[in-house]
Amino acid sequence: MTAPLLSVRNLEIAFRSGRDDIPVVRDLSFDLGAGETLGIVGESGCGKSITALSLLGLVPSPPGRVTRGQILFQGEDLVQAGERRLNEVRGNEISMVFQEPMTSLNPVYTIGEQIAETARVHFGLSRAKAWARAVEMLSLVGIPSPNRRAHDYPHQLSGGMRQRVMIAIALVCEPKILIADEPTTALDVTVQAQIFDLFNDLRRDFGAAIILITHDIGVVAQMTDRVMVMYAGRKIEEGPVADFVRDPRHPYTSGLVSCIPRLTMPPSDDPEPLFEIPGVVPAPRDLNRPGCPFAPRCARVMPRCRDENPGLEPLAPGRMVACWQEQEVAA
Amino acid sequence: MLQGTLNRLVNAAILLVAVLVLNFTLIHIAPGDPVEAIVGEMGGATPEMIAQMRAQYGLDQPFIVQIGTYLGNVLTGDLGMSTYYSRPVTGLIAERIGATLLLVVTALLVALILGTVLGVFSARKRRSVLSHLVTVIALAGFSAPVFWVGIMLILLLSVSIPLLPISGMTSSSADLTGIAHVLDVLHHLVLPALTLATIYLAFYSRLSRASMLEVLGSDYIRTARAKGLPQRMVIYKHALRNAILPVVTFAGLQFGQLISGAVLVETVFAWPGLGTLAFESILRRDTPTLLGILFFSSMMVVVMNLLTDVVYRLVDPRIQAR
Repeated sequence: MTAPLLSVRNLEIAFRSGRDDIPVVRDLSFDLGAGETLGIVGESGCGKSITALSLLGLVPSPPGRVTRGQILFQGEDLVQAGERRLNEVRGNEISMVFQEPMTSLNPVYTIGEQIAETARVHFGLSRAKAWARAVEMLSLVGIPSPNRRAHDYPHQLSGGMRQRVMIAIALVCEPKILIADEPTTALDVTVQAQIFDLFNDLRRDFGAAIILITHDIGVVAQMTDRVMVMYAGRKIEEGPVADFVRDPRHPYTSGLVSCIPRLTMPPSDDPEPLFEIPGVVPAPRDLNRPGCPFAPRCARVMPRCRDENPGLEPLAPGRMVACWQEQEVAA
Repeated sequence: MLQGTLNRLVNAAILLVAVLVLNFTLIHIAPGDPVEAIVGEMGGATPEMIAQMRAQYGLDQPFIVQIGTYLGNVLTGDLGMSTYYSRPVTGLIAERIGATLLLVVTALLVALILGTVLGVFSARKRRSVLSHLVTVIALAGFSAPVFWVGIMLILLLSVSIPLLPISGMTSSSADLTGIAHVLDVLHHLVLPALTLATIYLAFYSRLSRASMLEVLGSDYIRTARAKGLPQRMVIYKHALRNAILPVVTFAGLQFGQLISGAVLVETVFAWPGLGTLAFESILRRDTPTLLGILFFSSMMVVVMNLLTDVVYRLVDPRIQAR
């Protein structure tokens, strides 16, 4: 078996608060193969976004930093890499599209320049060549009259168009990995669909592996090959996307899947209430107590869950879950 | 664009007239007039002579007539005659403006560049020793009175360590020309410019630090980093251009207020600029000169505000003429 493109090993990311390091991501390991699409799912604050930033060495520091573990990109540990090396990787081999297209572009430079400078920095292209490349990218991401639009400033574009520009920036150097952190959360539903269509086309054309971070299970089902569920800074389930949607194992995952509202025909006058998982994600500070972090909210909690934290155990090839009940059933 | 500029010019003209009226009224209300000052210098005069002098300067007219005459004269570019020098005020201002501009522009440029660099640095290395040092120096520069800073610098750099001349703009002993003259003036310029720059520097370093901190936390800076741009490009290309707007605003305002900023420094260092002239005019009850300088400085404020708007539009494409 060949080594995966990206292999994260026992990653721990902590934020300093006063004199303590409070871990927000704990013991996280996952692999990403070339050309694969991995979904990372979880509620706000579960550590998805900070994990994504850590892959680029962009954890805001201080107060945050990677306190343990490795991020092996083609066998090279990026945690140990210096700023100069990281700058070679960023935007070139691993690039990222952010959640907020409205504020993620620099307001004082044209969009053409913002795409072109990335190509200049990484490929050493001349101004003219980089500009031509920027225009080409704009047309690839579906922006009409790219020649003219390249001279526009971000404020002259809609949110959907700006996100297309962000994608153009991310892809201009044909990276091996594209990280998309909730790329459509701030956009209208119709625009969301367009952006995901674009992702699918670009995945075909560029062959980049994609890490898609979202809390939208529907998007995960459509877009990804494999899904990893995070809760309170830990991975609690992982598996192929079909299994994840059809047969979620962790009580939290089944809760998430049940949360998708379904349109029933005919619409009843007295609809069932929407499903919700009771309670809230525990604060990182409260996670030092023993037991499963999900136990206080779990409908199927057992006495053991409150005392011991279950580790991730394989259920089937490529399928893992961190839940005592599932592991006991499987054993 | 043209409409907007036109609107601004009309507004500016109305503002200038209002300032003129206000200045004239305030000085009129204040006790004492030029004639009293002249009589004081002459060591006394008969009531007839005083009345005659008042008539000569139009001071015997009702207030409305006086202000009307003055406004009319200003409109034709005539700022009146100095009662002390017996020369046109416009000529006096023209003579002095060069020295003031030299002082203020030098101080402002030094403060602007150095202040921005220090501000950017202390925003990037928030916990470093230098950052704290900048904060302390800025606070000191902020709160110390200008004249005190000037006097302390004189004591240090002219008296204790006699490196620089104490006052004036040229060495009175030598009659220098050419390069030697320029160097002589620059030699005299160092202390007053340094004094004035200290005050401005405090503002700019604090302002650019705060502005830079805000910009560095923004999403587009995260994007710039994620693109793999080198640190200097992130800071000086992506962050600084966004962070510089408040600094430009402030520089525009301060440059407009150059006279008031320079009065104390010019007085302490006997720098022959407009500030000294304004200060002396107050002591001499030289109303026309004082009014002229005040009018001239309000013109500077207006012009600088217009220029600041232009710079805005160059820096930030989102700002368009309203």
